[in-house]
Amino acid sequence: MTQLDTAPTRAARPAVPAAPTRPFRMVLPWLGAVVALVGAFGLQTQLYTGQERTATTIAMFVALAAAWNLIGGYTGYACFGQVGFFGLGGYTTAALMTHAHMSFWLAMPAAALLTGVFAAVVGAPLLRLKGHYFAVATLGVAEGLREVVINAGPLTGGGAGITIPTVGTDAATPWLGNDGFYVLFVLIAFGTVMLAALIARSRAGYALRAIHQDEDAAASMGVNTTVAKTATFAVSAALTGAVGAAYAFQQVTIFPERLFDVDVTVLMVVMVVLGGAGTVLGPVLGAIAVAFVSEWLRQHFTNAHSFVLGAVIIVAVVLLPQGFTAYVRDAVKERRLSLLDNVRRYRL
Amino acid sequence: MSQVIQSTLYGLLKGCLYGLVAVGFSLVWGVMNVVNLAHGAFVLGGAYLAWELNSALGIDPFLGMVPAAVVLFALGYVIQRWIVNLVVNAPIFITLLLTFGLQLLAVNALILVFTANYRSIPTSYAGESITLPGDVRIPLGRLIAAALAVALTIGLVYLTRRTRTGLAILATGMDRGAARLMGIRAAHVYALTFGLAAALAGAAGAAVGAIGTFSPADAGRLTLFSFVAAVLGGLGNMYGALLGGLVLGLVESWGGQFLGGTLVNAVMFAVLVIVLAVRPQGIAGKAFYASRVEV
Repeated sequence: MTQLDTAPTRAARPAVPAAPTRPFRMVLPWLGAVVALVGAFGLQTQLYTGQERTATTIAMFVALAAAWNLIGGYTGYACFGQVGFFGLGGYTTAALMTHAHMSFWLAMPAAALLTGVFAAVVGAPLLRLKGHYFAVATLGVAEGLREVVINAGPLTGGGAGITIPTVGTDAATPWLGNDGFYVLFVLIAFGTVMLAALIARSRAGYALRAIHQDEDAAASMGVNTTVAKTATFAVSAALTGAVGAAYAFQQVTIFPERLFDVDVTVLMVVMVVLGGAGTVLGPVLGAIAVAFVSEWLRQHFTNAHSFVLGAVIIVAVVLLPQGFTAYVRDAVKERRLSLLDNVRRYRL
Repeated sequence: MSQVIQSTLYGLLKGCLYGLVAVGFSLVWGVMNVVNLAHGAFVLGGAYLAWELNSALGIDPFLGMVPAAVVLFALGYVIQRWIVNLVVNAPIFITLLLTFGLQLLAVNALILVFTANYRSIPTSYAGESITLPGDVRIPLGRLIAAALAVALTIGLVYLTRRTRTGLAILATGMDRGAARLMGIRAAHVYALTFGLAAALAGAAGAAVGAIGTFSPADAGRLTLFSFVAAVLGGLGNMYGALLGGLVLGLVESWGGQFLGGTLVNAVMFAVLVIVLAVRPQGIAGKAFYASRVEV
């Protein structure tokens, strides 16, 4: 009888000590974000036109990498068809601006919305696949989208490309100029990274990380994995579609071969994995580093830059398989900087 | 009617070759859970070796398959033993990135050495064909290539099912830990598997060069075809890649006949996505491989 009385109750639980409030740690990310934004605009005044275009491209890749990181890094689904959403967003914008004379500022959200809905519809069946199978299926979607765009001539211009009217009375929105596109891409990159940071710190972020570690366990803990995965896939695709929209407007004339180039997907993956998958800062650092190295190689090895880039990727993957941010975090925590430990980690 | 038979025949002949291109890719994927994005580059490596042998020594490309296979076996063994084995336990992005780096390296090396121009290997029988009743033609070169492709696939199945080395490869693919407890040297077996796959890719490359044109830019397309064929056929069955290749060849050939433009590629990817969504283990594969996430 006495045993019944001592049955544990809620009140009997040891009180959880309140997490110490560390105002500095809570303010730091916001401070960093503001500094980054101010720094980006300060940088603009110091750059030549050519450098500004390079910086614009880097900002674009920061946004793309941060968007891919949501589905690839946090959720752990290797989407190898991300460029399909990039192209879909770009072509939707181009078609709306050319044929419907819609303003860019309306066409971009419309493109993002359409891309997100498309991703949700495609993702619902495909997200049941795992590992390489998901990668191949999404790759198939992207390649299929490209073929559809090439063959839908009247709407997309087919393989010959489509030109958005940007000057004269025909233009729905005049071209923004190098300075304007720099600001646009920096703002998109900033918004994408901030959104990723918000998602990462929310309940949804924990759900995604739980799915990454063990999907069955996450489901049994009450995470609706299907909804979580599909929603993340859609958000990631919509962000990528918005970047594609801005890119199409910047390029004025777009071609299917460029907007559905598999190398863009691979670059996103390279940037996220080397920077640190599943972290907020990783894709940003990865995108900046990879874009810089790529540009530097292009200037110093005119003919062989892709060759050297391949070698750099191999060495970086072998030495830093867990990504730069995770490496720095572990190195600081354990006070060991040895790269050889890294190599031993995944070796056979 | 004869047009339909003709395109079916072309599809089957081409499908056998796609099967040979894909079989090594499927082997590596099934045994090590590594998707080798450099596979297309290996195929081209074989094609360029056969081209070099043909232009320098006048060796027939189908004979050139043998040296191409030997050279690529050595190359594949070295790459797996001392590079890929370093990250073989890592999440899939890592191995994908590593093999992508290898692909960049290999393709650009080919461009630097051989330029980006399209080439083909001339043969004395290139224009000859067997004519069947009903005006159906079978080009001789394609027939030889298809026959060799089927023979090599059967040879691979014999090797994996009937020899000790092959059984070691299968065992390591099923359960590496248990295989190691039985005294199998996993690092060596992995390297052998990769070498074998590269050798098959090299042989396929020589055949590709003998019946058509090729350039370093084809590497991505060849890898993609291997992907599609391996997935369609399914992993865990050596004939799966051949079956997938045949489906791919038929879809391409029929699609080219009845659809305009490059829409045939869209159909190909639609078939792939539908097969994946409905039957992830492929047409002939085993569910074990489809449900596996990491080794």
